[in-house]
Amino acid sequence: MDTILNRRTALKLAAGAAGIYAIYPGRRTFAAASEYNLAVEKGRITVDGISSRAKMMGGSVPAPTLHWREGEEVVIHATNRMDEPTSIHWHGLLLVGVMDGAPGFNGYVAIQPGETYTYRFRLRQSGTYWYHSHSAMQEQMGMYGAIVIAPKDGEKAAADRDYVVVLSDHTREDPRRVFANLKADPGYYNRGKRTLMDFFRDSKRDGLDATLKDRQDWSEMRMDPTDLADVTGYAFLVNGKGPEDNWTALFKPGERVRLRIINASAMSFFDVRIPGLPMTIMAADGQEVQPVRVDEFRFGVGETYDVMVMPREDRAYTFFAEPIDRSGYARATLAPREGMQGEIPKLRPRTILTMEDMGMAHGGMDHSGHGAAASGGGAMDHSRMGHGAAAPADAGKMDHSKMDHSKMDHSKMDHSKMDHSKPGAAAMGGMDHSKMGHAMPAKPATATPPDRAVGWGDAGTLPGEKALSYADLRSAKKSADLRAPTQEIEVRLNGIMERYMWNINGRPFGHDEAIRVRYGERVRIKYVNTTMMAHPMHLHGMFVELENGQGERMPRKHVTIVPPGKEISVILTADEPGEWPFHCHLLYHMEAGMMTRFIVGPKDQAKAEGDK
Amino acid sequence: MFRSFAVASALAVLTAASAFAAPGHGAKPYGQAAPAAQAKRTITITMKDSLYEPKSVTVKAGEVVRFVIVNKGELLHEFALGRPQDHVEHQKMMAMMMDHGMITATAIDHKKMKMDHGDGAHMHGPESGSVLVEPGKRAELTWKFAQTATLQFACTIPGHYELGMVGEFRFQ
Repeated sequence: MDTILNRRTALKLAAGAAGIYAIYPGRRTFAAASEYNLAVEKGRITVDGISSRAKMMGGSVPAPTLHWREGEEVVIHATNRMDEPTSIHWHGLLLVGVMDGAPGFNGYVAIQPGETYTYRFRLRQSGTYWYHSHSAMQEQMGMYGAIVIAPKDGEKAAADRDYVVVLSDHTREDPRRVFANLKADPGYYNRGKRTLMDFFRDSKRDGLDATLKDRQDWSEMRMDPTDLADVTGYAFLVNGKGPEDNWTALFKPGERVRLRIINASAMSFFDVRIPGLPMTIMAADGQEVQPVRVDEFRFGVGETYDVMVMPREDRAYTFFAEPIDRSGYARATLAPREGMQGEIPKLRPRTILTMEDMGMAHGGMDHSGHGAAASGGGAMDHSRMGHGAAAPADAGKMDHSKMDHSKMDHSKMDHSKMDHSKPGAAAMGGMDHSKMGHAMPAKPATATPPDRAVGWGDAGTLPGEKALSYADLRSAKKSADLRAPTQEIEVRLNGIMERYMWNINGRPFGHDEAIRVRYGERVRIKYVNTTMMAHPMHLHGMFVELENGQGERMPRKHVTIVPPGKEISVILTADEPGEWPFHCHLLYHMEAGMMTRFIVGPKDQAKAEGDK
Repeated sequence: MFRSFAVASALAVLTAASAFAAPGHGAKPYGQAAPAAQAKRTITITMKDSLYEPKSVTVKAGEVVRFVIVNKGELLHEFALGRPQDHVEHQKMMAMMMDHGMITATAIDHKKMKMDHGDGAHMHGPESGSVLVEPGKRAELTWKFAQTATLQFACTIPGHYELGMVGEFRFQ
């Protein structure tokens, strides 16, 4: 096995080599090759020397990585050793509804204290996925782990090393307390939101420049690393380790290192990069994509990316994941030897949301199916204005005539400060001179980060570097279903910030109206985000195809980031009968009601209707 | 006009800086292109997304080998001879070609490619030890190997080398 595990996991899985797995040591083992025991229990974890309470599967946080093979049948006996009901959901796996593990859906019932539930399913896919609790307030206390499914024909890419990198956010506070705080005062933790509100008021009062300066200072203040020690703040973890613990992955210079990166956070989007080491994206949400080389990517909660890196130098490289509010960082190290560490980059500026992020530029802008295309035309780089994350590649398709400039207050934008050298817009006439820097030999390693980021999509990417855009994702395989969608389902993502109320189509979960489609139907789901926050939307049971302009090669996703104030759409072939959870993967948004049922009718019904 | 000029100069700069300089001359420290008729042996290399079969090829110093390269993948791939350091340089140029739309993930834009100017063309021709092969197509390259060297065949399209699209020449 060329897969490298961290030592703790390796010990736990040591029995695996013999074909018998005992994830929870000392419990029953089974003769069948793929039978597992997984105990769910309370425990404690230590992050950067600070101990806190946790809920865990298989005795660790993250839970042990499950190494499976496509085509095999797996059996998991999940035993609840806690005093509250629990559940385990297999995020991204294609399976029969009841095995999906979401209580209240598909006839699945939560596992009661002391009980054991046996999951049994055959693996119909390969790639990187994960598993986590689907019961309130448990996942964020440590109930998450990775699933790695080897393709039945073997891996195509020749990795010398293969590591799982689970990102998460951890607080010592009880999640129920966190939720109560949010309900009482939505600004309790979320500094970004409050700043945005104040931003417009302040810029009216003090002028834009002064306000920006003020926000800049403010966000710099937040960069103080002591913020991490604040009990109410999140610590950002890599494989359960804090920045000081410094989880380390070993390599020999020149080796190909595959990183299977999973965002198992409760609430945190990250900008992920390894300064000095470009990443080749191989898979998104476990689904193979055509290789695209990037310097960083924006990482939504619940998403996964597989990347290959090729460190050539005999030195330590820092794996760096900055949450988008820049309130800290997750850090790990790729190094030729244990005990090494690389330079820790300065946190980049926290972006300042724009009117567009509030949906104010929505008017007649043609978003249809292409996300919001970034235009690099003329002298103005729109990508700096918040289009960035959406879709720089499709510039040609943007209809400027429909863009409602009257609703965008350009007078308040400071064009003179915009960085025109930034490669935001790729495909203008096939040649983008701003990208020349790309090809130049070795850009200086210590390029200065831009001092300002504007718009949700702006990560503050260094000049000459490339941030992944959804538009870059191109499936390695052609879509199996090329039918045009027969109906469009509008999914409005709403929120009432003042009450920390979040919902889909105006109805919180429990009072929601289920979405119903026929078995086999091909539908377009159009997300309309009316809020100022991005929502990583997760549909259980099926992959959706992201309408990112890639035609027959739209990437298949289980989580789709819908940026603030934007509309984006996905296409679904409803080929898995059942009533599937459909929700925002920000756990407190889901808890607040941002969830509904997505019901795919039974096979025979579709057939009966077809026969009529 | 301005654009083509800019690209041409950028390429010229890169060419001068890279091991693929010497426009007009195919000779490299590790060998040179040769007429197919001189080859006593033909080796077929199959390209897939993103790997070669076989992964290594045994040759002799001084030997002339005709390579038939078949792309069975769905992406554009390259078969380039070079030492590891050559491939590193070559990757930078290839990234720029992709940025400029001269190549896409699946095809060569011959119009844009032509717009460029002598030097660039030399970097991609059998005479310089490199061919780009579109999906479903095949290409040939005949090479006379010089002395024993650490020599690889590789695809330098962004990301492909990292994914393992590289093979080894073993000298007998």
